[in-house]
Order: sequence, then C-alpha cells, then structure tokens
Amino acid sequence: MWTVSKNADTPTTIADISGFALRGGVIGYLLLMVVIPLGGLLSQASLGGLAGFFTTLQSPAAVFAFKLTIALGLVTALINSAAGLVIAYGLVRYDLPGKRLLNALVDLPMAIPTAVIGMMLLGLYGLQGLFGRWLTEQKLAIIFDYPGILLALLVVTFPFSIRTVQPLLEAGCSQMEEAAKTLGAGRWHIFWYILLPMIRPGLFSGFTLTFSRAIAEFGAIVLVSGNIPLKTQVASVYIYGLVESSDITGAAVMSVCLLTLSLMMLLLQHRWAQKWGGIRR
Amino acid sequence: MKRAKTLFRLISAGMLLLTLSGCSHSEAPNAEGTTQIMLAAYTVPKEAYQKEIIPAFQKQWKEKTGQTVTFKESYVGSGAQARAIVNGLEADVAALSLEGDIETIRKAGLITHNWKDRPYAGMITRSVVALGVKKGNPLGIREWQDLGKPGVTVLYPSPRTSGGAMWDINAIYGAGVKTAEIETGKKNPDKGAELLASIQKNVKVMDNSGRESMTTFEKGLGDVVVTYENELLLRNMEQPLYDVIYPKATVLIENPVALVDKNVEKHGNRAAVEAFVTFLQSQEAQRAFAKYGFRPVVPEVVAETKDKFPQPEWLFDIQYLGGWDTVFEQLYGPKGVWTEIVEGKKGA
Repeated sequence: MWTVSKNADTPTTIADISGFALRGGVIGYLLLMVVIPLGGLLSQASLGGLAGFFTTLQSPAAVFAFKLTIALGLVTALINSAAGLVIAYGLVRYDLPGKRLLNALVDLPMAIPTAVIGMMLLGLYGLQGLFGRWLTEQKLAIIFDYPGILLALLVVTFPFSIRTVQPLLEAGCSQMEEAAKTLGAGRWHIFWYILLPMIRPGLFSGFTLTFSRAIAEFGAIVLVSGNIPLKTQVASVYIYGLVESSDITGAAVMSVCLLTLSLMMLLLQHRWAQKWGGIRR
Repeated sequence: MKRAKTLFRLISAGMLLLTLSGCSHSEAPNAEGTTQIMLAAYTVPKEAYQKEIIPAFQKQWKEKTGQTVTFKESYVGSGAQARAIVNGLEADVAALSLEGDIETIRKAGLITHNWKDRPYAGMITRSVVALGVKKGNPLGIREWQDLGKPGVTVLYPSPRTSGGAMWDINAIYGAGVKTAEIETGKKNPDKGAELLASIQKNVKVMDNSGRESMTTFEKGLGDVVVTYENELLLRNMEQPLYDVIYPKATVLIENPVALVDKNVEKHGNRAAVEAFVTFLQSQEAQRAFAKYGFRPVVPEVVAETKDKFPQPEWLFDIQYLGGWDTVFEQLYGPKGVWTEIVEGKKGA
C-alpha cells in the first residue's frame, strides 16, 4: 500500500507515511547532489549572458577542443563497444581458466585514480618507457599526441560496455543459439538475428556511457596530451586552463555545452531502447 | 510511524552533516606561549622555506619572545594559491610568484595595507628566465633565435595555468623587442611577436606548471626547457645535470610577499607574522634563498653571491613591457599576441 491515500476519511497508515518519507528522501537527495550543483553551474555560465556564451565559443581554441573531444569520444565509444561485446561474450559463454579473476580485472580501471592510468601509459610509451626507444626509432608519436589520448580514454572507459552487455547475455539463454545452429544457421546469421536483438539495449547504453565518460575525462589525459591549442588540447584540459586563469564563466559555459551533449545522447539512447524493445533503463 | 521517524532523523542528520562539513571551523584561541602562522606559497621555494628559513625564524622568535611559533604551510601553483586564499584559505602570509596574484587577494579586500610599502617594493626573491639544455649543450644553443630553428624541440608550460609560463613568454617576447631596440634604437613589438611565433611552433608539450615542464624535460623529451633559473640551479645542486644558458636579453623575475590583513586580524598573531615577513628580507633568509638558486634582493647578499648569478647583458624588467596589467592584456588577453599566435592568426 504505497499509494497516497486520496480519501481524507481513511486514516493514514504507516506505509503511507514512510512512502512519503522515502519519496521526500529520494527527491531531496537528488536535489542536493545533482540539481543544485547543476543550477549553480548554469547560473555561473549565464553570468556573461548570451554575449558571454558567444565570446567563449568564438575562440578557435575552444571550438577545436570541443571538436577533438567529440571525435575522440566517438572513436573511443565505437572501439570499446566492439571490444566490450567480444569480451562480454567470452566471459559469459566460455569457460576460461581464471575466469573469476578476469571478471574482477574488468572493473579495475574504475578503482584506480585516472592520473595513475596516465602514469602507466607514460611508463609504457613515454620516452623512457618500455617501448619508448623503439617508438622513437620508428618515428611513432604516441604520448603527447592523439594515440596517447585515445589509449588513455580506452583504458578509463573499458568496463562500461562490458558491464552493460554482460547481464543481458547472462539473462538470454544460449539454447536459442544452439537451436539456430541445429537448424543450419551460420555464425553471422545467429549473431545478426538472435544475439544482436538480445543485447541491443546494452550496446546502446554502453556506447553512451562510454562516450559521456570519455568527453569528461581529465586526470589521465592531462598527463599524456600535449596541451597545445588547436593540436592536442581536449575540452576538459581546456576548461582546466580557463579555471586556472580565473575565467570561471568561460569554464562554466564550456561545461554546460559538454553536459548538454551528454544529456542529449542519454535521452536519445532511452528513446532507442524503448523503440527497439529490450530493457528500459 | 516509528520507521518513518527514524528515516526522517537519518535524512536530517545527513543534511546537517553536509552543511556542517561545508562550514569552516574557526581556530581555537592560542594558548599562552605559542602562536601559529599559516604560510601559503607557490611550489618552487618550498625546500628553501622548509629546510632553512622556517626553522631559523622559529629559533629567532623563541629567543626574542620566548614564544614557540608553529607553522601551517601550503605549497601549490601561484594562481591556484591566490584563488584559494580569496575563497577562504586562512593564510597569514602569501608568498607568490607574481604581483598579479597578490593583487588578486588585495582586490578581494583581504589585504588592506599597501603591501608594496616595504623595502624592495615587497619583493623577496629575484630570478631570470634561462634555458636548460642537456649536458654539454649538444645543439650549441646560445640565443633565443636558436629555439626557433627547425627540428629543435622546446618546452615551457601553458600561461593559462602557470605564472612561470607567463614569465617565460614575457622573456621571449621582450627579448625580441629589446634586441630591436638595441639594433635600431626603437622598441619594435612586431619583432617580439615574430620571435615568439617562431619558438611557439617548436613547443611540443605545454604542461600545467614549471615543475611539470621540468619533469617532462628530465624524462628526456625536448632539447630545451625554458624556465626559472632557480629551477635549473636547484636540479644542479646535487650534481650538474644540465647546462644553464643565459640569453643576452631576458626578463628579471621578481617574487612578492604580503601579509594578509583580514586573516591576521582573525588569528590575532600580527606581531609574529610581521616579524616573519620582515625576516624574509634578513640576510640570513636571503642567503638561504640564494642557496636554493634564487637571486637575493638585499645588496650585501647580492654582493656575496655575485659569482653564482651571471648578469645578462640586456636584462629588462616587467615595467619595460608596460607593467603587468598591460602585459596581461597585450600578450594573454583574447586579442593578445600569444593568444593569436597559438590560434594561428599570427604565423611565423
């Protein structure tokens, strides 16, 4: 009996009140944690008015940082969605030695400070890193260039696509695939008509989560990007520069743009998920 | 009913905790015989303060007054430090990299006295912008022009995050202007922009601080690092790792200190803080700074350390470029020279 009593004659029960309290708690917590800070950001961004918005976004460095961030975010999301699908499939359908350990390893990037991930990449591909000398001989620039940023993003967002596809694979039964196999369906056929419809919502949400996380990443990138405007400067590092040079309004404007982009992606994903069935998240 | 109450209590307790953690707790009043000073400085002179200056002052203060003085210290980038103080870090003393950062604190109303009304206009250390190259100077770097040659990789931090980077870029731009003046008798800003553009295109990484650029250089990236002379001398203290190159024309760096009135009034420790700020210009403290690679401001110590610090021939100061306000606008503003160079509007 978790509904609000419409009739004033019926006495309110304990369930009613705790229902109220719980709702109040949920809404209050959301307000405190998300809505109020976001409101603060928006008011900060609107300090300069529309003109402020345009001056910030007119800077070529800002526009470039924005484009580079979106491009890198999309590439990261594409690569990791494909990789995540394969890894999740392997983890669910096959018995691998040390499967438990592997499963635990997947979440590890979430548990280390992203700056450490940047450090690890420096340790591998930096000039004095393991492969540094070889890379220099091959004239391959990884660190302080795009490949380095992409690598950092791939590592940081690694768990998302795996963890969104995995439960759907576990819930779906492998018998459908086996049945299809006995009826003579090829691998590709099985993937396209059985597997994909089953995990599509997971793929979508994995993609958007990865993208959103990628465009917001700072800690790992700041160590491996060259931070050269119009070359290797991404939005998060650019925003940090604005904050450091006391252009708080500019930083808020850039943040609001990134936020809007992420929000649109998340809303679209919800609509797709509803349209093509599967689980609504 | 009971459950709802508990839940309500829990939620309100949570809210209360959150609000409390947001408030700053005020200091407990000082016990007799002890006092405390909160020092907020930029990162580079950390060793000088911690190893020499603070212990020496504590000893001196104890002898003079019988009071034990303890220190709370914070060392972060100069700009970040200024912002932290404005946003409520209760520092009694701000020892920063540039005047502009002290001005930020003054404009926020926390410094109410005229902080430049001290000897040497409130400056406690000096330095110059110099070049660090690998031992033996394999590329034969001598002058700023050499940094613009094809194939030379240069490092300095981003002026958006680092006060040090501003000094570096001021040095390059000013060197162009100064050289033109020496050669033709007229200051030529275009020559400054030209030199800056030629070097900027060889900059491979722009770290967030001078320290980070130095670290990147130590990792083996880059042929030349443009930084404070004292950063290089500090690295060379144990053993000579790098050659320090002084271009003929470079900028004189001056680092200020100021007492933060509002916080001192809150803590009621003015006597000790005043004494500490004065102590920073004593010969003892100046020698300590010099030991860690900073140029002293006090004439006696300047004379003692003459051999350690070569005098660049065409040294100029920030006033030569019109003072900080002009430099902020003309070099780093939205239409500034450096801004336009990195945005590709001014090509080399």
